[in-house]
Amino acid sequence: MKAYILLMVSAALVNNVILARFLGLCSFMGVTTRIDTAVGMGMATTFVITVSSMADWAVETYLLQPFGLGYLRTVTFILVIAAAVQFTEMTVKKVSPPLFQMLGIYLPLITTNCAVLGVALLLVEGRMTFIGATLFAFASSIGYSLVMVIFAGLRERLALAEVPRLFAGPPIGFIVASLLALAFMGFSGMSTN
Amino acid sequence: MDDTLDFSAPAMVEGIAHVVAVDGNLAWLEPEQTTSCGSCASSGACGAKGIGTTASRLEARRFSLENEAGLTVGETVVVGIRENALVKASLTAYAIPLTAALGCGALAQWADGRDIITMAAMVGGLALGLGLARLNAGRLSARGELAPRFLRRTNETATCHTITFNKKAGE
Repeated sequence: MKAYILLMVSAALVNNVILARFLGLCSFMGVTTRIDTAVGMGMATTFVITVSSMADWAVETYLLQPFGLGYLRTVTFILVIAAAVQFTEMTVKKVSPPLFQMLGIYLPLITTNCAVLGVALLLVEGRMTFIGATLFAFASSIGYSLVMVIFAGLRERLALAEVPRLFAGPPIGFIVASLLALAFMGFSGMSTN
Repeated sequence: MDDTLDFSAPAMVEGIAHVVAVDGNLAWLEPEQTTSCGSCASSGACGAKGIGTTASRLEARRFSLENEAGLTVGETVVVGIRENALVKASLTAYAIPLTAALGCGALAQWADGRDIITMAAMVGGLALGLGLARLNAGRLSARGELAPRFLRRTNETATCHTITFNKKAGE
C-alpha cells in the first residue's frame, strides 16, 4: 500500500509529466487560457491516459512480449491510444449527447498529445504490475491536470495584469511556466525514485 | 486593471454558432470550428473517410435552442453555458467511470491479487461507472444545466477571439 502511495506521489508531483518530463507542452500552452477549459481538457486527458494505459499494459504483456514484437511497441501504442480516444468519444456521445456537445471538442486533441504515449512507454520501462501501471498512469494524468489548472489560474490573473508590451502574451506565459517548474522542483526532495 | 468587467454576472463560457435550420420553435445551430482537428493541413488525409473532416465533426455537434429571439438561417450568434456546467459535465463524463473502475480494480487486487482478475474487475467497474454517469447526465440534462443559451447576435466575421476581446473591453 505504501509503495503504491509513493508511486502515485512520485508520478504526480516529483516526476510531473509536464514540468519534469516536458510532455504535453502543446496543450499546456494552448488550452490554459481559462480554468474551465483546462479542467475539461485535464479530466478528458486523465480518462484517456488511464484507459489507454490499461489497454497498453495488456497489449504489451499478452501480445508484444510473448511474441517478441517489441519493435512494434510505439506503432501499436499509437493505435491503442487512437482507439481509446474514439471509444471515449463514442461512449460519451452514447451516454449523453449534451455532454458530448460540451466536451467532444477536447477529445480529438488528446490523440496527438505526446503525454498519453509518453506515459504508456514509461510504464512499460518500469515493468510494473497491472494495478501499479494503472495507478502510475492515473497519478501522472492527475499531475498533468493539476499543472494545467494551476497554470490556467495564473494566466487568467495575468490577462488582467499590466504586463510590459515586450512580454505580453506567450513570453510572460513561458516565464510563469518556468517559475512553476522551479516550484515543482521543491518536490524532488520527497522521493529518490 | 479593466474596471468595466461585471463580476456580479454569472460566469459564462461563450462561443460562436451559426444558425443552420429553423424548425418551428426550435433553431438548429452548428458551433464554430475551434479545434485544430479538421482545420490543419492534413485534415484531408485524417483517419477514416468522414471522421476527421470539419463538416462531419460540426454536424455531430449540432444542437438546438428555443427560438425565442426569432433567429433566421445564416445568422451568427453568441451562445453560452455556465462556467460550472463544464466542470460538472467533465466530472460526470470522466470522474464517475474512472472512480468506479479504480475502486473495483483496487477491491479485486486486495481480494485476489492476480492481474487478470484486477483487469476484468476494472473493465466491469468502467461499465458500471458509465451507467452511473448516464444516470447523472440525464438528471443534469433534465434540470437544463447542460443546455447552451442564446446570448446575443453578432456579425459573420466574429470569432471566439474577438468576442472574448470585446467582452473584456466592455462591449
